Amino acid sequence: MKWWITGAVVLVAAAIVPTFLDPTGYAIRVLTLALLFAALGQAWNIVGGLANQISLGHAAFFGLGAYTSTILLINFGLSPWIGMLAGAAIAAVAAYLLSFPTMKLRGHYFALATLAFSEVLRVIAGSWTSVTGGPVGLSVPFSPDSFWLLQFKSTMPYYYIMLGALVVISGVFVWIRHSSLGYRLRALKENPEAAEVVGVNTTQVKISAAVISAALTATLGTLYAQFTYFFDPEAVFGIIPISVRAAIIAILGGAGTVVGPIIGAFLIVPMEEMANVLLSSRGAGLSQLAFGVMLIAIILIEPRGILALITNGVSRLRRRKSS
Amino acid sequence: MSDTTPTLLSVEDVYAGYDGSDVLHGVSLDVHAGEFVCVIGANTAGKSTLLRTISRLVPKSRGRITFDGTDLMSLKAHEIPKLGIAHVPEGRHVFPDMTVEENLLLGAYTLRQDPVYKERLEKAFTLFPRLKERRRQWAGTLSGGEQQMVVLGRAMMLNLRLLILDEPSHGLAPIVVDEVHDALVKIHEAGTSILLVEQNTSLALSVASRGYVLESGEIVLAESAKALHDDPKVREAYLGL
Repeated sequence: MKWWITGAVVLVAAAIVPTFLDPTGYAIRVLTLALLFAALGQAWNIVGGLANQISLGHAAFFGLGAYTSTILLINFGLSPWIGMLAGAAIAAVAAYLLSFPTMKLRGHYFALATLAFSEVLRVIAGSWTSVTGGPVGLSVPFSPDSFWLLQFKSTMPYYYIMLGALVVISGVFVWIRHSSLGYRLRALKENPEAAEVVGVNTTQVKISAAVISAALTATLGTLYAQFTYFFDPEAVFGIIPISVRAAIIAILGGAGTVVGPIIGAFLIVPMEEMANVLLSSRGAGLSQLAFGVMLIAIILIEPRGILALITNGVSRLRRRKSS
Repeated sequence: MSDTTPTLLSVEDVYAGYDGSDVLHGVSLDVHAGEFVCVIGANTAGKSTLLRTISRLVPKSRGRITFDGTDLMSLKAHEIPKLGIAHVPEGRHVFPDMTVEENLLLGAYTLRQDPVYKERLEKAFTLFPRLKERRRQWAGTLSGGEQQMVVLGRAMMLNLRLLILDEPSHGLAPIVVDEVHDALVKIHEAGTSILLVEQNTSLALSVASRGYVLESGEIVLAESAKALHDDPKVREAYLGL
């Protein structure tokens, strides 16, 4: 089957699924979150997958998006759609500035620097009480249903908004991958020095990818805030809930591929929910433990992610058939 | 010959190294237009550092390097190819997860819409017909010799004036070394100047017209390839004769 037919079938199925679900129920909520985190993994994938710059600080941009649009909404009644653009612009500037000190860093050092950056923002959000509400967090003023204010009583509209975000960001990812920026990113990923000597301005390429990825991540922060109506610094600037999750979703599914983060999110988010439901009554931390064990198992079996596991399996079956 | 043609690349009194300690101690050499020059020397003599300094990959360097009148010391590594200088680093470095054609494209991605692009691609394919056969194949799945051709082909996608080669024969089977040898001769005959660094001294001296001997970061001999080949010290130290 051609890839675009597969894509169209999946998209139609994704559009039909919610009509069978209780629009305010638990299942659609989990699916909506999975779509949101698939989009987050995809935004991360632009930097982490295409350029192999493993960021553990994407919460910085997610949080900037959530706080910017919500502060503008609370104080000036500004539509989150506009606040989303403002948040994306601020995140883009932040990523641009951050790229200078982290430019020469690779591997773990880059990861740690990005992580530290998001932690600084988390601490600021927790202490600048007059603007950010401090450690208590911010509540989005509730006035549903309004498309302009991006608020709905039912989960269904959020489902379609997150689906739209995932489609748009996946589109951006595919477009970049096949553009000259994509070629240059892949060259950079494979060998920075060889890329330089064929004329790739690796500095400029890294900055472009980081800025695009950060702006997209910020828009998801806004959507998250509008979906949950309430967030505190840990929820949007947190290392585990956002930064690590974005990275794991992409890596687990298959970093650098467009379907990787989607597979990753639809595996991880429901798995986390299930582990919470089944295990949280039996002891604190047990669900996280089970979750961690699953992650380690998958990474040990196939470090390139589940997508590679599937494609390897398929090609092995084909070979067996043909022989 | 070298006195009648203009100097293309001029390296004057260059010091370079990593983290405080110099590897090159006042190296001077030049390549005239259309010349094929080689630098021979032992493993740690600083041959790669010399080439990396010319293509601006060694940040800690001083001295004068000019290419056709342009001061290279004020440029960044990624600006060097625009002048028509292609550096083929040691170890070949194809981009393994790209197809052969994508690898070549990367040598000229600014020209993708330009008719010149097709022209140069055809030229590279004429020189290396095997690349044309394998244009859609992942570069990482090619043999060592074929990867070397991809890298040379990628260099030809530039408006190539000077080809800088670091150990192109390294790790290749003898029969493949012969192919690389032929390819270099063809590229040179097509009008490209070449600066070659090789551990395989007999190969280097058989293709180049002039050579330098680099020892511990200093040029100790500069002669025609024939004179070097007949030099008793070179014969003993580098040719094993």
